[in-house]
Amino acid sequence: MKRLRHNLTVAALVVAAPIAAQPLELLPTSAGYQPKDAVEQGLWLEMDEAEQQMRASKFLIDDPELNAYVKGVLCRAVGTDKCGAARIYLMRTPQFNAAMAPNGMMLVWSGLLLRARNEAELAAVLGHEFVHFEQQHSLKSFRDIKAKSDAITWLGFVPGGMLAQIGLMGSVFRFNREMEKQADMAALDYLSASGYDPMAPSKIWEQLLGEMDVQAKANKSGAAAQEASDFFSSHPNTRDRMEYLRAAARTKAPSSDDGSERYRVAIARWWPRLIDDQVKLNDFAATEFLLNGLARGNWTADLLYARGELYRARGKEGDLAKAEGFYRQSVSKDPALAESWRSLGMLLLRQGKSSEGRKMLRRYLDIAPAAGDRPMIEAMAREPQK
Amino acid sequence: MAISLLALVGASVPAFAEWKALVADESVNVAGKLLVATPEAGWNRSSARPSDHGERWTRDGLALNELTFFAAIPDGGTLYHSPYGATQKLPKFRSNMLATEIVELFESSNRILLNSSVFSVDAIEPAKLGTHEGVRFAYSYAAQDEGLTRKGEGVAAIVEGKLYLVNFIAPEIHYFDRDIEEIRQLVATLQLRPPEPSQP
Repeated sequence: MKRLRHNLTVAALVVAAPIAAQPLELLPTSAGYQPKDAVEQGLWLEMDEAEQQMRASKFLIDDPELNAYVKGVLCRAVGTDKCGAARIYLMRTPQFNAAMAPNGMMLVWSGLLLRARNEAELAAVLGHEFVHFEQQHSLKSFRDIKAKSDAITWLGFVPGGMLAQIGLMGSVFRFNREMEKQADMAALDYLSASGYDPMAPSKIWEQLLGEMDVQAKANKSGAAAQEASDFFSSHPNTRDRMEYLRAAARTKAPSSDDGSERYRVAIARWWPRLIDDQVKLNDFAATEFLLNGLARGNWTADLLYARGELYRARGKEGDLAKAEGFYRQSVSKDPALAESWRSLGMLLLRQGKSSEGRKMLRRYLDIAPAAGDRPMIEAMAREPQK
Repeated sequence: MAISLLALVGASVPAFAEWKALVADESVNVAGKLLVATPEAGWNRSSARPSDHGERWTRDGLALNELTFFAAIPDGGTLYHSPYGATQKLPKFRSNMLATEIVELFESSNRILLNSSVFSVDAIEPAKLGTHEGVRFAYSYAAQDEGLTRKGEGVAAIVEGKLYLVNFIAPEIHYFDRDIEEIRQLVATLQLRPPEPSQP
């Protein structure tokens, strides 16, 4: 807490008296900050260009309400005096990631929105990224690389695509261990000071590591095993990380405010698309783990539908029967969930229970009369001519 | 991680393809002689195939139009070759799939290969592939690193337990609308030649 107060004092000074504060280091999160030397200017230029492209990306989620909500969470976490320095871009990409460029561009992948179970967990990741920005971690990494190699070559390597740009930026999957720890601890200070549950960071990491572990075990192929081992080698002592986050959280004032209801409402409109993106990755083990983590024993109609989709898509011995059970539970919890009726109908048809299957498909069409697949479903739902 | 994903996207476009022009208005065997198509002028066939069961054509280059044929994919087969280094497995075709499930198979396979979740199936309706009952589906998507929306239309049918599918992709702007009627005509006149069932 002491350290946090110190940080806040510095920030307040900078904002209140920018001229007097000049001998102090102006943080990039302060109003009026400008890159200091040629290296930093070059990096900003690159990033500004990348940001231009990002604005035109087809992957942007340009829902103003959702964007405002995520920005609001960042602002509550790090303070309204600072959050304006970051510009958040929500990207429709089902994997878990977030990344922060040294010029203030923050990318948040939709896979993070799917995996966070409440506002505090989202705030934990946003805060973590923000600290990388504030403490200029990517600039420092860049200077390191420049010291070791020809930076021009290195910049030339970036072809301008979104994925490559993320490689150039700081993200939750990069940086050395010391920087990661700095970001973890400072983000925890932010989180706690803004009244969020301080246990949230360790919880979302626990969930994520569990998922990656399951995925690595399920993928027996050489390439997948290699990727998994790459991940763990860049995250030495992940267990250790969880431990220090948890231990540090215990020194903070406990809070039960995790904003789970606010979070649920804010992403409700997007949730079906996000889970659909995940299911269509054909990644059974990780998705099953994720769904269990999201449900935590409380299987809603949406979650049951998603689980049905997952089992139906895999279609191994016994999977279809399980999927049928999930769909039936789903429609009994929420009879208005059109997609569950549709999938249940298809599943029954495929299993030869044609008469009941056609009935379910008609339920789907009753609820969703304007569906794009209506002509096909109608044909499938039609009783055969005698 | 970013680099390997990029490589994965790159892998879906073969680097060493050779192209051969097709003669207009003449029947041509496609995808291992299992299909016979009669193209209009200007189409070219690639030596690089999307899978052992597939074949790829273009008129102006793959970025502007791409026509793929898949013939006789057996139970348990995938639509495409899995790219090298891919961590996600492509979903498998099953002989007892419903028309709508073929569309799901197509969508999931393409989302994985394109590394894109900006992919939506907009319409599904009954249709014929040659003389066989099947399904037509219309979709749109964006690929990584492109500020462009593409539209696609596929027609598929299961014949004697094997999957046949023709798929056309072009940019939403100009190119899709320019060629889609011609493609529909080609699909309507396509002949399927399913392999003889093997003798016991």
